[in-house]
Amino acid sequence: MAGRSTRSINGSDGSRTAPARAAALADLLHYECSTLLELFRKKENFTEDVADRRMVSVPPPSSQLDTRDKLWRIHSALLQCQKLLEKAVAKEEEELGGGKKGEYENKRKLVKERLPLLILSTGELLKAAEGTTSLTPSVEGLELNVPTNLFDLKLWVYRVYKEVNYWSKTATNTLKDLPSVIVKERARTTRARNRRSTRR
Amino acid sequence: MKFFFLQRNKHGRIIMITWLLLLSLSTTSTQDGQENSVLRCGPQNVTLDYDSFLLKWEDDPSCSVIRDGLVYELQLLTADKPVHNGEVVVTPAQIGSTHSWKWTSHLPSQCARHSVRLRSQYNNQSSPWMQKMLPDQGEILVLPRNQIFKVGSTATFCCTVPDGESIKTMFLLNYKGANVNATKISEHVHSLTVHLDQESENWSDVICEISKGNISGASFHASYPPDDSDLQCETRDLESIDCFWNVGRAANEHPAMERIYQLQGSPCINGHSGKCSQKVEVDTVERNWTLTATNRLGKLELCDRANLTKRVHMVAPEKVAASTVNPRNISLKWSWTVQKYSNFNLTCQVDVSDGDSNTKVFQTENFGVGLTAAVIKDLIPHWDYDVRVRCGTAQHFWKWGDWSKSVKIRTKGDVPDALDVWMKVKEDQTVISWKVPLANQSHGEIFDYKVSWAKTKEKNQSNQTNVSRSNHSLTLTLDPSEEYMVTVTARNINGSSSPSTIIIPRLNLDKSEVKTSWISGSNGSFFLSWPVSPNASCGYIVDWCPVFGNCTFEWMKVPPNRTHTTIFSKNFEDGRRYLLSIYACTERAPVLLQRREGYVRETKIEGELFKLKNKQEDSAVEVSWEPIPLEKQTASIHGYILYYQDKSGDVFNVSTDDPEATSLTAKNLNISTYNFTVTALTAVGLCGNTSIIVTLNPLADQLIMLTLISLGAVFLILSVSIIICYRHWACIKHKVYPPIPKPVLTDQWLTSPDEHTSHRLHFDQSHYSEVLDVPKLYDKFRPPQPVVSQDYKTFTFSQTRKGYYNKPLKKLQPCLTLPTTGLTSQPGLPTSPINGVFPNPSYNPSYSLVMHGEDREFKSGPEVHERIPFIRSFSGYQPQSPDKTFTTAELEENPESPISCVSTYILLPQKTSN
Repeated sequence: MAGRSTRSINGSDGSRTAPARAAALADLLHYECSTLLELFRKKENFTEDVADRRMVSVPPPSSQLDTRDKLWRIHSALLQCQKLLEKAVAKEEEELGGGKKGEYENKRKLVKERLPLLILSTGELLKAAEGTTSLTPSVEGLELNVPTNLFDLKLWVYRVYKEVNYWSKTATNTLKDLPSVIVKERARTTRARNRRSTRR
Repeated sequence: MKFFFLQRNKHGRIIMITWLLLLSLSTTSTQDGQENSVLRCGPQNVTLDYDSFLLKWEDDPSCSVIRDGLVYELQLLTADKPVHNGEVVVTPAQIGSTHSWKWTSHLPSQCARHSVRLRSQYNNQSSPWMQKMLPDQGEILVLPRNQIFKVGSTATFCCTVPDGESIKTMFLLNYKGANVNATKISEHVHSLTVHLDQESENWSDVICEISKGNISGASFHASYPPDDSDLQCETRDLESIDCFWNVGRAANEHPAMERIYQLQGSPCINGHSGKCSQKVEVDTVERNWTLTATNRLGKLELCDRANLTKRVHMVAPEKVAASTVNPRNISLKWSWTVQKYSNFNLTCQVDVSDGDSNTKVFQTENFGVGLTAAVIKDLIPHWDYDVRVRCGTAQHFWKWGDWSKSVKIRTKGDVPDALDVWMKVKEDQTVISWKVPLANQSHGEIFDYKVSWAKTKEKNQSNQTNVSRSNHSLTLTLDPSEEYMVTVTARNINGSSSPSTIIIPRLNLDKSEVKTSWISGSNGSFFLSWPVSPNASCGYIVDWCPVFGNCTFEWMKVPPNRTHTTIFSKNFEDGRRYLLSIYACTERAPVLLQRREGYVRETKIEGELFKLKNKQEDSAVEVSWEPIPLEKQTASIHGYILYYQDKSGDVFNVSTDDPEATSLTAKNLNISTYNFTVTALTAVGLCGNTSIIVTLNPLADQLIMLTLISLGAVFLILSVSIIICYRHWACIKHKVYPPIPKPVLTDQWLTSPDEHTSHRLHFDQSHYSEVLDVPKLYDKFRPPQPVVSQDYKTFTFSQTRKGYYNKPLKKLQPCLTLPTTGLTSQPGLPTSPINGVFPNPSYNPSYSLVMHGEDREFKSGPEVHERIPFIRSFSGYQPQSPDKTFTTAELEENPESPISCVSTYILLPQKTSN
């Protein structure tokens, strides 16, 4: 873990593609989220095997999914994660907050702020893949029943963190596996546009 | 089968519909030959809150036709046995809404398996029981949940699982208390009892685990009820009340334990800070002022009974400023923002601080009704001050109000203070010195100093001079036989200071008969005390300066009532000797009382202090040195030690306690090399070690004396020997040359030579390594008169047969040469090789053995004696063995000789002209 603390998305390589940048962002989020999970686990003395239940609902992965579907899938999952995380942070502050702000709270804030950036990146990629008419995934069906029992709330928050961790990792892998088709298409489009400009 | 008949009305159709609906409310069933009517209108969407045992449900839609209300019957079962019954009456208006029932029981319910069931009743018809189990299928229930406990209490938690499940373990998380007791009540129920002996940091948990990862739990928090204390209320503006208290431990640290404060029933917004203010009507009535603090564990009420007019905590004065500024006083004024203060009798403190150092100078107190001004006196002219004011009520004083903001004020300038003047007289030179006026004495920038002096008897003939401000002393050449009066003043922009006068006495003070005593410094200072002097009408003056080097003197003045002081000076140096003088200040000239000399702090004297010389006297060595100059004495020398060490390493020492000593002597030394070290004895140890190496010389005089004594002894022995020899010369002669009877020459003597065989005389010369000439012997020797006649016919000479030796040739070679001439053979005698010259190359020809007879002299040569032993001695004769030592020859004594005496010839070689 410690060896990953120097991660950065500010690559010096100016030719880095949008999927690669999104993948780096997802990787960084995954790293931060892993740390957050670890801190929460230590704080609440939870073991790793508790609260293993999926909360995000997306179509199952398949090798037949095209780039657009893959992007749509992770984009949708990340949107649900964002809703869950915002709720979890709010409820935790409200019900379980201890007053003191420490490393855990700082890390939680960092993850909460970084997740929208990844969502923005995947959304951009999705737009690029779908053209101008982008179908934004809906989060209406997301189950946001927050437990009233404080201990259940702790478990629920833990599950949310696990979910964010899982989907940030999935996003990393998906974005890394994406061919730079989008970029190529964009590049092609740009070249065509340039040719047109030259003719004029 | 039962029928419900409703009132007939005009609207037969409506009646008909209602009748049909009512008919649909119940169904008839036949069971065991009995007919039971079952009400369809019953509960639905039943929920149970485990924490509060609050049961909620709704009516079935079929209940909506009931116009006259219905009743719900409820039963609580513990271990499947009914333990409590209840009912909820639903009015017609309530039909269709959510109903609830809360079970409150004195029984500890958590650790028993519970269920609750309910059904509706209407017109003796009942709906089927609807049961809610605790816990529901698939649930792990840990109770109580989300509870807050008092620290010190004991909490019991129960874990219940449905049938078919079993509990693996139950334990505590996030709580540091160790007093935990887990009990297995059954396979489905476990309990955990915790004695809450400390506060929870956050929400603690009780965990119940069925299998790995399958857990449930309940959170709890242990804390304290409010423990605020010491409520105190006051007013500042006489229109509101301000209350303060101690908030107690861990107030509001945990959100669940937030305390709610109320003062006089009104909420306090920032109560957790321990302060609450409210607008009130302030009057002179003494009232109870009440604060309540509430949290989830309890409520606390604090009271303070007070008349607020006696609890006035004044606000800070506003617009503090100086209305009048003088050199030594100022007038202050200020105003009040609270107009009601003007009715109060006030006391105000004015705090005066040094403007540069911010150190407090003094405080003054002023009184008055509605006080808004004060005068500050005793200030220093031309000085910066920081001034601030605070006030309180003079009557029923409660506490001081707030300080006003500080105001900077500078007083006006004034003439300088009188100078502190002292003098030092040395012969006809008198140094007048004055201390540099400090900023609080100059009252403005000093321009210069004016010094005037005159003989006391001629005051009119005064001399004066101005001294620039950078100088603080003046050397005057005064007549020592006259008394002078010197006056010094300082000038600044405001004028001249008061004159400072000092009288220079006629006689030099330093030559007085006052003896100097020793003083030791401590902690970088000198402590001085002296007896009271009746002359000291204006106190005492103590001055000091180093004993050696330039005497830049310093002084201090001591008031008349004190006879001791401690002297500090930034100019004091360790290891330097100071002379301190105590004077009595009189109306006339100062009088010297005492003198002290000493060090503020003695330091070790550096090595190689001495210039050593040494002087040997017999077996003693005196090591001397030059007197040690005072400037080299960084510590007082109490004596000296001379260490000396010989080659064997033994160390000896001699010492002296005389600090004036300049030599030490080491005695009884051996003729050897010594290392002498001289060291000074001081209070800080042995210092200034200096060494020399001295090699003692042998005693030459003694050797000479010894030689002379030896020579004298030899001379004495020789003299005695000579005397003895002289006294016994007759004997010696007799022995050496016994008297020889005159030969009687007869024919027989000639004819019977065999009968008169000559005796060979042998004498031992081996004792003489040198042939000595003995003049006396030469003179005295009288060999027997040989009688040599013409008739002498036979001459026999025989060499010694046994051991007749000459002296070693080599020793005598330079001086012994047998003469080749001078020896004449007697005519008529037979010529014989031995009857003539005995050639001996070693024999000095200048020397000849000359023997003197009584009446004649004869050359050495064999004497022919008849019938008499013939004695012949030849020095240097080496007939056979020239290499051999000339040794003794036996002296064959004549048995007829009357004296047996061995005599020797001692010949001393004599120089000859040739």
